[in-house]
Amino acid sequence: MTGYSSRGSLRSLLGFNFFDVFIYAFCILFAFLCFYPMWYVFIGSLSEASKFSTVSFNFLPSFPPTLKYYISIIGGGAFQRALSVSLFKTLFGAFASVVLTSMMAYAVTKVHIKGMKAINFYVIFTMFFSGGLVPTFILIRNLKLYDTIWALSLPLLMGVGNFVIMRSFFIYTIPQELEEAAAIDGANAVRMFFTIIVPISKPVIATVFLFEAVSQWNDWYTYLVYCESPELRPVVQVLRRLLTDPNAVKGNNIAILSRFGYLPPLPLKMTTIILAMLPIIIVYPFLQRYFVKGIMIGAVKG
Amino acid sequence: MGVDTAALEKVLQPHKKTKSFSAYIKKYWFYYMLVLPGFLYIFIFRYVPMYGILISFKDYKVSKGIWKSPWVGLENFTTLFKIDGFYTVLGNTVLINIYNIVFGFVFIVFLAIMLNEISSIAIKRTIQTIIYLPNFVSWVVFAGLVIIFLNPEDGPVNKLIMALGGDSIYFLIEPGYFRTILVVSNILKSAGFATIIYLSSLAGIDPGLYESAIMDGANRLQKILYITLPRLYPTIAVLLMLEIANIFGSNFEQVFNLYNPLVYDKGDVISTYLYRVGFGGELPDRAFEISTALSTIFNIISLAAMYIANRFIKKLDVIGIF
Repeated sequence: MTGYSSRGSLRSLLGFNFFDVFIYAFCILFAFLCFYPMWYVFIGSLSEASKFSTVSFNFLPSFPPTLKYYISIIGGGAFQRALSVSLFKTLFGAFASVVLTSMMAYAVTKVHIKGMKAINFYVIFTMFFSGGLVPTFILIRNLKLYDTIWALSLPLLMGVGNFVIMRSFFIYTIPQELEEAAAIDGANAVRMFFTIIVPISKPVIATVFLFEAVSQWNDWYTYLVYCESPELRPVVQVLRRLLTDPNAVKGNNIAILSRFGYLPPLPLKMTTIILAMLPIIIVYPFLQRYFVKGIMIGAVKG
Repeated sequence: MGVDTAALEKVLQPHKKTKSFSAYIKKYWFYYMLVLPGFLYIFIFRYVPMYGILISFKDYKVSKGIWKSPWVGLENFTTLFKIDGFYTVLGNTVLINIYNIVFGFVFIVFLAIMLNEISSIAIKRTIQTIIYLPNFVSWVVFAGLVIIFLNPEDGPVNKLIMALGGDSIYFLIEPGYFRTILVVSNILKSAGFATIIYLSSLAGIDPGLYESAIMDGANRLQKILYITLPRLYPTIAVLLMLEIANIFGSNFEQVFNLYNPLVYDKGDVISTYLYRVGFGGELPDRAFEISTALSTIFNIISLAAMYIANRFIKKLDVIGIF
């Protein structure tokens, strides 16, 4: 009661005033806008096509819900191939990234060692400047990686953002005293790294692994530019083709308009969207848990 | 059981100056080993392609390779500037980025402040969880959601319009709507990320500040304007600076998955144009070279912009930490 001016009489009456209502309504509305498209597609994937479209407003799946679209897609060879491609790409890419990045980020913090500062700059510079699309394409071709499964994940390794996050972690979160104590106990650099640093860094390593995995899973650009075989299509690429046109020429979306009639039925598209989103959703709670820590460490001092 | 004096010395004086180069390497070999794989990877996949920038100045013949292909000086650049599409693309990129800053950035700050005002922690967390999810989804998926949502026949938006008596609109092929679609979908997808940064900054505000403000007779709005918002100024400054430095940057994934030839005029941006020119067969001649010239120009501009922004941010850092 104390401290509220007379203008807040509604507040003292009801416990809230118009401003509160506005705030809640605004935020909840925005959250709804973010959420509803995904929910819409989710229930659409579980509904009979005919029943779904005719209903004016869809908030629940048609009754009874059906799994037939999921079965038809998951059972299909194209999807299964894409799934194994995506899984390999994601796991290999995330694993390689984490190993390379963590080793480098740790070593770079030892600024007293000659060259480490230069290497730090060497890495960060790539965040601002790159060769561009065509030169990288030529490189991949010259390395004989064109149209191979390696071309799907290799170009994406070691995202600089994650490098900065890990480096910040090693600088600010691992106390200097820990390493000094270990040195006094007779540990050499190798032992120190593997028996102390790595176990302590588990949260950051997990976070970076998840982030890299999500990037790899979501990426279709590498396929678009560096590959052409249908067998190498990742799940997202299968989805992309489904959404545009089965006979799509690289990147040409004109098909949407002129050939609307020949597109796969809506529920199939919805199902594929959900399937492409599934790993992200599964991993999301873990991402969320670690993310705030990561942001605090990386962004505050970035 | 003598004392190992050599080891003891090593421990007591870890940073003792070593005499020779090879002794130095021997001592710190492990750290150099740690750095080596990453160093090689970055060299091969990030630095080597930079050599390809030379293509901007050449008439690239695959058979001759980059080095031996003939020089053409600035010819590729002049050709580039003569192409009609170039200025449209440039204008679109800058304009869309400006829209994103003026509408998107402001909106997101507003959203973060609103979220901060929510008293129920449970609701606050739930909303944060919900709005952060789109950030992790691929643009292929998100664009798919947008396309389905805006579908002229059975998309919810059009159903709503028709229920209110209007005619359905095919949003995605109307040039007039396209930029709005880009900005709105970008907000929906990236709001979560920025709000988390802002909210964690706001979490550190001393509640005592609010209490003394109340005692001074401040109302809700004043509390926000004079306590909450100023707390965000450093973060806003940094993020805003980065966005402005990126004024020529373009979101390939978003635009590519949402656009179609009918909206090229309004929606084609540098990165999508670059791709179409380089790989889409739009220019029969010198496609690679022109595409490379384009990316070279903007790489350099981005680099300069980032450098300037970085200098500003460094200055702020001194001021911003109270």
